[in-house]
Amino acid sequence: MPSDDLVLETHDLGYSYAPGRYAIRHLSVGLRHGEVLGLLGRNGAGKTTTVRLLTTLLAPTEGSATVLGYDIRSGGRALRAHLGVVLQSESLDFVSVERNLTLYGFLWGVPREVSKSRAEEMIELFELESARKRKPWALSGGERRRFQVARELMHPMEILFLDEPTVGLDAIARRRILRYLKERARGGLSIVFTTHILHEADLLCDRIAVLHLGQLIALDTAEGLKAKHSGAREVAVTFAAALPGALRAELVRELALRGATILEPEEALSTSLDRISFRAEGAEELLPWLSQWAHTRSLGIERMSIEEATLESAFLGMIGEQDDRGGGRGKEGERPENLLSGGRAGGLS
Amino acid sequence: MRLPPIVRLIVRNFASNLDPLTIIIRFGQPAVTIIVLGTMFSSIISSSVTGGASYTAFLVPGMVAFQMITGGVVSGNLFWLDRRWSMVEQVFSGPFLRSEYLAGLVLTSLLFSLVGVGIMMLVGLPFIGIPALSALGVLAVLLTVALGSVFFASLLIAIGLQLRSANAYFSIQSFLQLFVIFLSTVYYPVTPKTPKVLAAVFYANPLTYAANTIRDAFAGTLGPSDLVSLGILGLLAAVTFGVAAWAFRRMDLGPIQ
Repeated sequence: MPSDDLVLETHDLGYSYAPGRYAIRHLSVGLRHGEVLGLLGRNGAGKTTTVRLLTTLLAPTEGSATVLGYDIRSGGRALRAHLGVVLQSESLDFVSVERNLTLYGFLWGVPREVSKSRAEEMIELFELESARKRKPWALSGGERRRFQVARELMHPMEILFLDEPTVGLDAIARRRILRYLKERARGGLSIVFTTHILHEADLLCDRIAVLHLGQLIALDTAEGLKAKHSGAREVAVTFAAALPGALRAELVRELALRGATILEPEEALSTSLDRISFRAEGAEELLPWLSQWAHTRSLGIERMSIEEATLESAFLGMIGEQDDRGGGRGKEGERPENLLSGGRAGGLS
Repeated sequence: MRLPPIVRLIVRNFASNLDPLTIIIRFGQPAVTIIVLGTMFSSIISSSVTGGASYTAFLVPGMVAFQMITGGVVSGNLFWLDRRWSMVEQVFSGPFLRSEYLAGLVLTSLLFSLVGVGIMMLVGLPFIGIPALSALGVLAVLLTVALGSVFFASLLIAIGLQLRSANAYFSIQSFLQLFVIFLSTVYYPVTPKTPKVLAAVFYANPLTYAANTIRDAFAGTLGPSDLVSLGILGLLAAVTFGVAAWAFRRMDLGPIQ
């Protein structure tokens, strides 16, 4: 991927809130033009710190980053003029929703007429018609969040940072917002999106960066993460005819050699049955082997199903792996090996 | 044409945080003080105590000086509410500098104070007639209120930056307001009979200098002492603004209650 396709690049970016204590460390990641990058992680993983660093609300204590060609340490106003930022904390002015929208447009220097028509568009898009004349603090939590996202979309931008924008939203509102963001991304808007709703990240994000205890532990597409980190999954195979006991015993042996755990009672293993189910790490890789095994023995396979890999199972797998390794929050001198590989996978040139 | 960022911030400060009720109370309270306190005390306080003028004529310049506190309080509250509702962070994530936001707050305070000056003079007009204000006097009044307003706004912003609790902030603000008003010459002059300690406290209070200068401007008796008063006010305004700016650069944008 050519470097000039990147609108955001970080190299070993870090922020230390006290000597030797890091909220985020060794973050190397890139964002392409029109790409949606998800930041996933547990509470305190460093997602919000990352957003605050990249939007210049915090100054990094180590490493470097450029956003739209501006250094985040010195880009200041010129850089922020191209960003949209929906922060995690609720922010509002003490006027009606409608006035909040136009006032925010004014603050950003959007011409009055453009601001008015944009406000109408946002009110409709984010279903705020009934809230139009109400003050934001009188809205429900979901309405307030919708209002906050709508307000940020009042001005033009090249990169949009969204820190948990869908908290408190119902499924329909969430889907509507995600669809809109996807459309904007198709139109060239680059988006950095943090969420705890993994299904949402799966729907929206082109790539996902997983942070854990302040460190980047994976960076890939949702499919890539699922394939690599979903752990053991269940496979069920139904043959066209019952397998003779000997063949069935052979299959069980071969599967066990490949690390699979048979899920049927032991007494059923030697009997003649037309099906078998097992659980295995990298189960999808066993499927071609299984087809070949059946084919060479002239056995027909009627149905083969594999448990769907979800981003949630991949996420749990990744966090589990890190915890098993005893990984802790970045301390002085630490530099986990998988971190850089994650960053490079992200396409830094 | 796009307005400069600082102008946009000032317009936003006025548009977003100043509801009509607040404005009425902020300006109504000193106006009612002129009408009620002026009328009642004029009949019982001898004009010899207030330098030959009626008590109302003494009080009006005091209330004009008081506008620097009104403006300062407005800015202090604006800033506190912006912090409480995360608008400081939101503004900083946009195309604005911290210095512009701070200057916007202070200028909002200044404008608010100057509007207050006009209102107090209008309210006082039926009671004291047109004051003997020369061009220099008008300039002295406006400069005094402007400097005082910068001082109080900066002071309250600097205090607000150190606190994370609304209760603490508003308690300190109320206490400070009360302390500053009653230990100044807004309501009464310092006379030879004033206890020495109290007089010293009065003269440590910037509002005293502001009230005295505005009173002299109203009476057409501006002199070198008023120049000193303006110098002291200017110095205090510069120091507190410097402190607020320094604290602003180090501001923690974390949550407050």
